[in-house]
Amino acid sequence: MALDLGAARILVPTGIRRGDVIDVRALVEHPMATGLFRDAAGNPIPAYFINDVSVTYGEQEAAHFVWSSGISRDPFVEFSLRADREAELKFIWKDNRGGVFTQTADIKFVT
Amino acid sequence: MSGFSRRSFLHASGLAFLALAVRRLAALGRPRPVDDVPWKVQQVLKQLFGDRQVQDGHVQLDVPTVAADGRVVPVMIESDLPMATDRYVKAVHLLVDNNPDIHLAEFRLTPQIGQAFVSTRIKMRMTSPVRAVIETSDGALWGAAADVRVTVNGCG
Repeated sequence: MALDLGAARILVPTGIRRGDVIDVRALVEHPMATGLFRDAAGNPIPAYFINDVSVTYGEQEAAHFVWSSGISRDPFVEFSLRADREAELKFIWKDNRGGVFTQTADIKFVT
Repeated sequence: MSGFSRRSFLHASGLAFLALAVRRLAALGRPRPVDDVPWKVQQVLKQLFGDRQVQDGHVQLDVPTVAADGRVVPVMIESDLPMATDRYVKAVHLLVDNNPDIHLAEFRLTPQIGQAFVSTRIKMRMTSPVRAVIETSDGALWGAAADVRVTVNGCG
């Protein structure tokens, strides 16, 4: 499987009304290596995983996740969000080697 | 005619067997009591929460009974606790007893998250209880646990 490191998608519903509690889904492509596996030649594959995720809604941080390598490859997360203003939803994923991946989605209300 | 005929005995035993079978089935993937915690997990809980006790309830943990692939096990945690500005769910912790890293993830939430709900996919090394512990803003801890049978090691 080809891996497009850091490629991220955020899915928010369409037709949001002010005050709705919406479902937010986000996925980022990352190997999430535990450091416990070996490759075909028997060499250990070093740990390489996302350990910090920050979700900001407008100016404020809405959620913050602290992960271990126990989250599956291409980590996916789904949670709720109270959409009470039109703002940008921004995800920042950070891995244990200093890699930073970001993705944004706009929360817009239907008129 | 005696009150205890062969037929009624067969009926009764059949029913008893059925009841047992249903209970067996229901017991699989059933939430287990939170207080049945192994020592190594108690140590992790102590490190996270100090002497605060985890109470049973308010947490709904949705995991498969059998996970064919330990690399991808879907987990859903939901709570009926309020997400108001003064009282809300501050954090959701996920622990897997038999994983190399027991404290698998922590999801810190704010009142902006309208409902205490988190879903993700995790790795599991082997058959193990999965625990969800919810921490509220006033310091209370609520937990739920469920057994997941794993056939393929997902941790190495």
